[in-house]
Amino acid sequence: MKLFSPKLPTIIQHEYMSKFKTKGFLLGTLLGPLAMIAMLGVVIAAAVLSKDTTELKLAIVDNTNSIGKELVASDTSKYYINRQSVDELNNKIISGELDGYVLIPSSILDSGDVEVYSEGGGGLGFIKSLESNLGNILTHRRLQREGVDVSVIELVGKQLDVITKKVTKDGGVEKDNAEGLAFIGYGLGFAIYMLMFIYGSWVSRGVIEEKANRIIEVIASSAKPFEILLGKVVGIGLLGLTQVVAWIVIGFALLQLAAPIIAMTVDIDPATLSTGMSMQDAQTAQAQEMMSNFPVISPWMIIGFIFYFLAGYFIYASLFAAVGSAVDQEQDAQQLLIPVTLPIIIPILLINVVMTNPDGTLSVALSLFPFFTPIIMTVRIAAGNVPVWQIGLSVILVVGTFLSSLWVASRIYRVGILMTGKKPTFKDLYKWLRA
Amino acid sequence: MNILELKNVVKSFGDYKATNDVSFSVKEGSIFGLLGPNGAGKTTIIRQITNIYMPDEGEIFLFGSKVSPEHQNRIGYLPEERGLYKKLKVLEQLIYFGKLKGLSSKNAEARARQWLVKLGVADWAEKKIQDLSKGMQQKVQFISTILHEPDFLILDEPFSGFDPINVDLIRNIILNLKEKGKTIILSTHVMSQVEQLCDELLLINKGKSVLFGEVREIKSRFGKNHLVLEFSPDSSMIEDLENVEIIERSAGRAEIKLLEKSCEAQSQHILRKLIESGLSISRFEISEPSLHEIFIQTVGEENLNEEELAQISN
Repeated sequence: MKLFSPKLPTIIQHEYMSKFKTKGFLLGTLLGPLAMIAMLGVVIAAAVLSKDTTELKLAIVDNTNSIGKELVASDTSKYYINRQSVDELNNKIISGELDGYVLIPSSILDSGDVEVYSEGGGGLGFIKSLESNLGNILTHRRLQREGVDVSVIELVGKQLDVITKKVTKDGGVEKDNAEGLAFIGYGLGFAIYMLMFIYGSWVSRGVIEEKANRIIEVIASSAKPFEILLGKVVGIGLLGLTQVVAWIVIGFALLQLAAPIIAMTVDIDPATLSTGMSMQDAQTAQAQEMMSNFPVISPWMIIGFIFYFLAGYFIYASLFAAVGSAVDQEQDAQQLLIPVTLPIIIPILLINVVMTNPDGTLSVALSLFPFFTPIIMTVRIAAGNVPVWQIGLSVILVVGTFLSSLWVASRIYRVGILMTGKKPTFKDLYKWLRA
Repeated sequence: MNILELKNVVKSFGDYKATNDVSFSVKEGSIFGLLGPNGAGKTTIIRQITNIYMPDEGEIFLFGSKVSPEHQNRIGYLPEERGLYKKLKVLEQLIYFGKLKGLSSKNAEARARQWLVKLGVADWAEKKIQDLSKGMQQKVQFISTILHEPDFLILDEPFSGFDPINVDLIRNIILNLKEKGKTIILSTHVMSQVEQLCDELLLINKGKSVLFGEVREIKSRFGKNHLVLEFSPDSSMIEDLENVEIIERSAGRAEIKLLEKSCEAQSQHILRKLIESGLSISRFEISEPSLHEIFIQTVGEENLNEEELAQISN
């Protein structure tokens, strides 16, 4: 008996086209990248805003008569010198005229203690900035008191900046952007996580629809259950691939369009202007500088992303279908879906570990566990340096896992689609599997 | 020649035998009634014929060879519970089902259009199924069953949901298919349809075959012991008759079963009584029991629930 009949392509085509033609799919495909960019914008905006969390203005009661001035000089938008009495200040806090005040004792250089009075709350932001502003001054003063030379103090205070360089195969050296790449890996891994859920639930919903509307009775008398299952999984998989490729293309096109717009809004560094170039040239130069700081997304990252997305989809979609076949309505699927969704969620929880050390033993092990491979390996490819043998092994493992999960799913599916009435348990599913 | 033959078929679900040693055959070009109360195992038998289920024991032969996926394209199956994709357009739906039965896309579309015209739903070809009335959905489902011109049809309650005009329309199509030599299994609870259409029937109960044969032969097997009377004005003397069982009774009409040994003598006796009482008699007919009566008698009234009884008497 042949494994596949000409009916399989018919089913694949039907699954693909009937969803492809819907308005929802078109909107999702077109608006997906915009939504992603909007989300990215929110994240960046939040990060920028959180840098300056304190909007509180603090009065300084200075008993040293010098440190307070220096503190105000460090950030005039936050601090100002006050000459009122503590009682007056307390009243002002109660009446709401004043956010708070800092009491600098004369013994501060020795004790290092400082008191802040406020109406309470206000977050951690202002404490942090006070700590760093005042801390710098204190360090400076203490070193000075011990007779250290000013130039030495400045040298010691200089901030540490690690600049990572990457040695390329041809012996050259280029800029490495480990941090940026790790974040890209995170984004890609998270995208696979979302996509597996979205397309997986399309599959299970489709199966439930056919079962609830009794369409399955007609189809099952026309084709083998295995073909119906595989046709659905492949059809929606191709549809997902279409959407993902469209997103990537639209995303890159948008970035190309966005680059000049970003350039327009760039603040011009006076240093670049002074060399005598025009405003526009300066903007372009600045934008190019920014773009070069942006980590490069290599074609391998995209190929890896697409491959592991498909691998993950195929491993889980057939299991989603099996669960769908067992129930009469979507609500009943929740409990049975837990063992399917858990291995999708776990790698997301472990993603930080992998980002921190993408080529460590734990990361390698996690990335080779086939149920975790799609998400973890994608993160590693972006953030680390994955040896070819590990890629090869993971490909063999995920393909093998896909075939096994398809086999398991088809056993359950074949019985499940014709079972109506009672809500099945895991025990029932196991029985169907062995039947 | 037998198109379909079941030999000692057994199918169990757990401990329950949904099909319990069932054997029967269906002749080519005939209409065959598959009857039985709800839960008797009709759908299980149908699913084994359509290769959805495999029998545990016994054999099923279709078109002279064992049932296999190769047969599926030659079967048209209209399940009792209708199923269509709600969001798909009528024509798309028909083309998909046609292709699943091995038609080319083009061929399926041409035939679908023809049938849509024939059944008066051509204007709805580009409408989504969910926008159609129930009756129209039934028509679409019926078309999807016969689109690929199957040699063997299984129609489960094909008339349900249709008004009398459309019942006639569908019945004529079914009779037309029979004329063309197609073989049809008709499963229904409406006994009058079986009497009108079927050549042979199988009655199953609790998975077992309880009655099998030609419709006429089965009826005569039960003997001519029924009396149908129509008279006016209505009279309570029917209720006073002795040794009879009243099967049906309405104003000016009665169907009774004669319980005396000689039905001939008893019937003449009743006729005389009716005339003496001065009733005007418009119908006096000695007949075989109706299939309805046979169904209930064979299955046993205690095995039927009220809903089923209502369905059968339709």
